[in-house]
Amino acid sequence: MATKYRILLADDSKVVTAVLVAALEKEGFEVESAADGDSAYELGRSESFDLAILDQLMPGLLGLEIIKKWHEEGVVLPVIVLSAIKDESTAVESIELGAEDFVRKPFRIPELVARIRRRLHS
Amino acid sequence: MPDLVLWAVLTVFAIDVVMLVGLIILKAVHRVRMRRDAERRTQYLTLLSRHLTYENAVDPIPSNAAEDEAFLDAVIDLRYTIAGSEIERLSEIATTYDLVSRQEGLLRKRFGGLRRLRAAVSLAELGNEASAPILMEHLDDSDDEIRVQSARGLARMGYTPAIDRIVGRLGEESDWVRARFGDALAEFGEDASAPLMAFVIVNHADGDTSAIVQAIRTLAAIGDYSVGPRIAQVLDLSSNPEVQIAAAGALGGVGGGFAIPSLIDALASSDWRVRAQAATSIGEVGLAENVDDLVASLRDRAWWVRRNSAAALVRLPGGVEALYRALSSVDPFARDAAAEALEDSGELAKAVTNHREQRATRDEARLLRHMRGSGVPGF
Amino acid sequence: MQAYLIFLGIRSALVLRNSWFLHRFGRFWEMLASDSTPPISIVIPAYNEAQGIVDSIRSMSIVRYPRFEIVVADDGSTDETLDRMIEAFDLEIVQIPYRPDIATAPIKAIYRGHSPVDITVVQKENGGRADALNAGVNAARYPYVLCTDADVILDADCLLASMRKVVEDRVRTVAVGGNIRPLNGSRVELGHLVEASVPKSMIPRMQSLEYVRTFLASRPAWSSLEALPLVSGAFGIWKRSAMVEVGGFTPGHFGEDMDLTMKLHRYHLEKGIPYRISYDPSAVIWTEVPETARVLRRQRIRWHRGLMSVVSDFRALTFKRRYGKLGIVTWPGMVLFEYLAPIVEFVGWIVIPTAFLLGALNTASLLALLALAFGIGLLNSLLALMLDEAFGYFNSPRDTSRLLVIALIENLGLRQMTVAWRIRAIFGGKSTMTWGNMERRGVGSLAD
Repeated sequence: MATKYRILLADDSKVVTAVLVAALEKEGFEVESAADGDSAYELGRSESFDLAILDQLMPGLLGLEIIKKWHEEGVVLPVIVLSAIKDESTAVESIELGAEDFVRKPFRIPELVARIRRRLHS
Repeated sequence: MPDLVLWAVLTVFAIDVVMLVGLIILKAVHRVRMRRDAERRTQYLTLLSRHLTYENAVDPIPSNAAEDEAFLDAVIDLRYTIAGSEIERLSEIATTYDLVSRQEGLLRKRFGGLRRLRAAVSLAELGNEASAPILMEHLDDSDDEIRVQSARGLARMGYTPAIDRIVGRLGEESDWVRARFGDALAEFGEDASAPLMAFVIVNHADGDTSAIVQAIRTLAAIGDYSVGPRIAQVLDLSSNPEVQIAAAGALGGVGGGFAIPSLIDALASSDWRVRAQAATSIGEVGLAENVDDLVASLRDRAWWVRRNSAAALVRLPGGVEALYRALSSVDPFARDAAAEALEDSGELAKAVTNHREQRATRDEARLLRHMRGSGVPGF
Repeated sequence: MQAYLIFLGIRSALVLRNSWFLHRFGRFWEMLASDSTPPISIVIPAYNEAQGIVDSIRSMSIVRYPRFEIVVADDGSTDETLDRMIEAFDLEIVQIPYRPDIATAPIKAIYRGHSPVDITVVQKENGGRADALNAGVNAARYPYVLCTDADVILDADCLLASMRKVVEDRVRTVAVGGNIRPLNGSRVELGHLVEASVPKSMIPRMQSLEYVRTFLASRPAWSSLEALPLVSGAFGIWKRSAMVEVGGFTPGHFGEDMDLTMKLHRYHLEKGIPYRISYDPSAVIWTEVPETARVLRRQRIRWHRGLMSVVSDFRALTFKRRYGKLGIVTWPGMVLFEYLAPIVEFVGWIVIPTAFLLGALNTASLLALLALAFGIGLLNSLLALMLDEAFGYFNSPRDTSRLLVIALIENLGLRQMTVAWRIRAIFGGKSTMTWGNMERRGVGSLAD
């Protein structure tokens, strides 16, 4: 068995965090969570992860800004963006900036998990 | 005399002290309670998430969780965040732990308006189908907001027997409640079309105008094309401008090509608001054959009609070209209206860029000249 | 005199409780984010705001509301205000229909842009804040306008909260006022309020308490009594058609917001048109208040002169039955408790010590009277602070204790200072009739 995949989860909503942590840990992933943009950005820079799930709208740095900064600093980290329905345009923009995928909220847990698995194995 | 004053002073100070102490206590209690509530809520969230994810979760949910507001909040939060089959599982949990029955009990109480409202909101958000009967009862509650929440809850569950009841109440409610009932009916979707249409047909001549207008707006929101011809009829028959405006507006979305004759007639109404709305709706229907009708309306004497006609032209095939032509109209108002619509739709920005790159078309140059007022070198 | 404020305070408490409850549990924001919500034009007057205008517009553009536009009226700025806007938002000069529904100083040009939101800039000749707002309203496309200032920070939900009042009763509601809080001392980043706190220095801190008293303990009551005399200029939602009917803001008026509110009252009462002017305590905005006594003095003098103009213009309302509650209760109340109040208080300061010195009043009675005045004033402040608890903006105990301290020492000079200024305004004549440079309008009057 290979080592566990490490996932960085950044969302300011406790609900989303709770749900995703439970779901991802069940899949056997290791999850680190951040509640705001600045800590998410720092974590992504300083520790190694296999995937990041970023909420678009958080206090501190926005999801978009984090992706841009990581890109500039050479942090290689596939990103899935979580987007509330209203944020359609920013979600698309983040894809253009290099995010791998985006998922709208409210989301279906199995679907999100499937997308994560796909990203990780590719 | 001094005695009275003295008593007054003492009383006032006594109240002051009481309030001061009260303030301090309130603040302390508030802070502690908020922190603890937040903690418990997070705990419940984690707990519930595990129960949703794993078939047999290890940590049990406390059997008296229903009495804890934090549990209720957590369940409702989850209901908003996830979609799909987990919702059923969540509903099961809510029922198993008596969450739903507890809220129903609270709603039934005679007194305690705010708590009852909270219960109504919770039931609406939990969306548990077993709650449908109690919510139906409370569509007649004396409290406005509780009626609103009942309708909302029933709509979220998709409990169609409620539709007729809600439509029936449209005529009796205040603006706010009626608007929220409209939202609820819109959420029911096409099942609500027929009852609403019946309501409009029966009442549009002599019923409460606001109720008719709301019903028509809701029909438009539902977007069921089958009501188009009927609404067109209402537009033709009604002599009430408010109803006409609403009907014309709805036809933009649900009328399709069949609505055009009625809309063209409305474009000639004596009431400018009806004309303005007709213009917008013709734009929504979006048929090239109506370009000329709207171009004629660019010269309407009412500002809003001109404006809406120009904006509508943008949406028709060949409309943008017509607007460019209108820039040379003899009527200065038509020219201005056309210019504004072209600006709004991004044509001006395009013209500016093209001009900068030395490849503006003749039309674009004309638009720039119109906006900038002075000569623009080029063609 | 303070006693009537207590009555208002208690009534406000009930109104606030309902409002807070609905705010917390109603989740009305979803409901409002629907198609049936009317669009709004945010109208901002700008005069030499080159420094912050771009940031202000950007921060306003993130407000949570389905459909709105921003209209800036450049009131003949002599700096690069206009250029900065043109550059930042890709504005283009346009020749489009402009409805001069309200007469204003001549318009020079109009600019339009669409990013990040629809922006219209009206460049005009200088005419003052009221005139600029009128021009902005002329250029506004939507049926409702929010008149505010460039340096105001809007709470994300303030439009939803205040427009709720409109949606509740669309036909009758012609204006809605909001809740204004001093920004001084709070942490702002990128145009967002990150952390609210009570200002550090004395002068703005005193104003914090004043504003809490007004906006939490006073306005809700006025509004529920349907006799709100003032929708503040810093945050007012107006139905465009109604505003146009009464000629918009009166240019050059020192209290143009109160003037417009009263014009609307009078117009609808005289014509017998059912109407409603509302207030929503959850519609919160933040603005800078004067930091020094000198600037505060100018502001208060200006407000009081504005009040005087309004009182004089609308004196025909007093006690006339046809003006309903407004004429019989609110208006005389306003005159008595705000206009004349400083005089009464001032006279009190003179009469009471004199009576004491002359022996007409013994020590005990003197102390008793002073204590009574102090006690009731404190009661008002405490009531307001308790109401403020409901909103949780001043969360830290330290903030509340700071305000408490102010409540206690207010009467040792701070209050007297404001009274003296208002007396000055009443008897000051010509020298008080200046604007300074076109500056903050503030809240116009605080029921105090």
